[in-house]
Amino acid sequence: MRIRFIALCTGLLILAAPAAAQAKSTITLSGSTSVTPLASKLAKAYVKTKRGKVGFKILQGGSDIGVSDVARGRVTLGMSSRDPLPTDPGGLRFSRIARDGVCIATNAGNGIADMSQDTVQAIFSGRIRNWSDVPGAGKSGAIDLVVRNPASGTQDAFQNIFMGQNLRVSSSASQRPSNGRVQQAIASNPNAIGYVDFAFTKGLHTVSYKGIACSLRNAKSGQYGGVRSFWLVSRGAPTGAAAAWIKWIKSAKARRIIAQNWVPIK
Amino acid sequence: MTTEVARGEARFSGLARALREPWPDRRTERVLAGVSSLVLVTIAGMVLFVFVKAWPSFSHNGLSWFGSGGNVDQQLGDIFNSPANPDHYVYKLRAWPLLYGTFITTAGAVILGTVISVLSAIFLVEFAPRRVRAVMGPVVRLLAAVPSVIYGLIGILVIVPFVGNHLISSGRKESVINVVQLTGASLIVAVLILTVMITPIMVAIVSDALRSVPRGWTEGAAALGANRWRIMWTVSVRAVRPAIVAAAVLATARALGEAIMLSMVSGSVGFAPNPVDGITFFFEPTRPLAATIVDNADGLSVEPFGQTLYAFAALLLLSAMALSLAGWAAKQPLKRYGIGV
Repeated sequence: MRIRFIALCTGLLILAAPAAAQAKSTITLSGSTSVTPLASKLAKAYVKTKRGKVGFKILQGGSDIGVSDVARGRVTLGMSSRDPLPTDPGGLRFSRIARDGVCIATNAGNGIADMSQDTVQAIFSGRIRNWSDVPGAGKSGAIDLVVRNPASGTQDAFQNIFMGQNLRVSSSASQRPSNGRVQQAIASNPNAIGYVDFAFTKGLHTVSYKGIACSLRNAKSGQYGGVRSFWLVSRGAPTGAAAAWIKWIKSAKARRIIAQNWVPIK
Repeated sequence: MTTEVARGEARFSGLARALREPWPDRRTERVLAGVSSLVLVTIAGMVLFVFVKAWPSFSHNGLSWFGSGGNVDQQLGDIFNSPANPDHYVYKLRAWPLLYGTFITTAGAVILGTVISVLSAIFLVEFAPRRVRAVMGPVVRLLAAVPSVIYGLIGILVIVPFVGNHLISSGRKESVINVVQLTGASLIVAVLILTVMITPIMVAIVSDALRSVPRGWTEGAAALGANRWRIMWTVSVRAVRPAIVAAAVLATARALGEAIMLSMVSGSVGFAPNPVDGITFFFEPTRPLAATIVDNADGLSVEPFGQTLYAFAALLLLSAMALSLAGWAAKQPLKRYGIGV
């Protein structure tokens, strides 16, 4: 009896263990949390076209992690949402795969026409804390900052595009874990200002930046300034399966996937 | 092929028969012991896993992990943006605002909840007309089963905007503008919704206990001339003190672990509300540990950041264990003249 019980348990354990992976070329990726959603979408679509021949393994970190992992040969490709730096290790090849941007948004009752980079920096760093100090603001009173938590790619984009490396977002800013929650917080608070992805601006007033209205279309046309590039980083020119994937990313099918939420490269 | 299938079927029906027939006591004992020790193994494994994962965060900070200093949100940001080299991972964290936020939201809700639940249990058991009792009992049990995310949605869509736009004056907002922003998502909203969440289960436990107080005790008090309120207060409530402690422990456990609702209404800033601020104190935002974990879960794959989140989880696990021990210890002296759980 006892033996049969134990045998049953072992049998279940063996069934639960993952089946051994088949031999196929695996592309490993690591790096930027902002690039990860796009990279995993592109990877999924690519795996469908090359069923059984290619697999992906994606680890998130920061852009720096992606760059240094690929420089040390720990992954096939690094993902980076920042441009190449002079301090990066030599011999790396950056391939641009898409552009990404964010909108500055206020409550619908607070229709600010336009903001310069300086105004954005002053507001989000906490240098200006009252709407009456903001040129063109439709109201007065305290400014409520709504931002994303540190793990967010949108936060990373905002920091890179608008704030730069040296300026920090004020520590009194209230953090939300998703674009939708930022949208909701701004929509329900007349004093609020925050940043959201292009897709989450419904019900909010989007502030145009440097005179250009914030929309995915303006970003695609190249006019809107609040954008940055997504890169795949390889050691030397990409080879084998990785090169084929990067080439596929330039195809019409991949560009359609990118265009859903990001800006394809011309 | 067919013989193989037949053999398989035979084996299957043999197993089914073995399960259907009455089991000898020895086998029952062993199987049940196996199942229940599986629970123990799971818990032990989980605790071990969480603590091993959390260890780097604790060991890098030492005891100052629990202290205050700097801004906890900026520290979390720095941990997330650690350089790639594992030797240079950033771990510096002073988690006090999060611990304090967890403590005051939980304590506030449990204290409020205990008072409300004891009073309403007394009403339900002793004073309520039969018809009210027939409706209230099931309704209380239903309320206890409402998923917390629903409370969170009501909080974020109705209560937080109302508090932010109508209860907090712009003067009050501007008085603390350089330290913290008052948006309506606040300590008071978090505590009130948490209280609504945990009170029903407490009412259910306490009223069950009140009902099981032996009739002789209360009738004896009535014979001595005490009125119903006095009987309740001096005999029944005293007798059910162990049950009240048990209810409070259960409620504290639920409040400690509540993440989604608190992430939605508590303001999501690593800020320690300051009681010196007077009324403003109640409108200040905070962010408890569990809410911090869910808000930042997408950063888990960044190693030092994940380890820091595991450290929060370890602390919650530890407090849950300390809580059940403390509850057990608090019940011992009360049990002598008490009844109940």
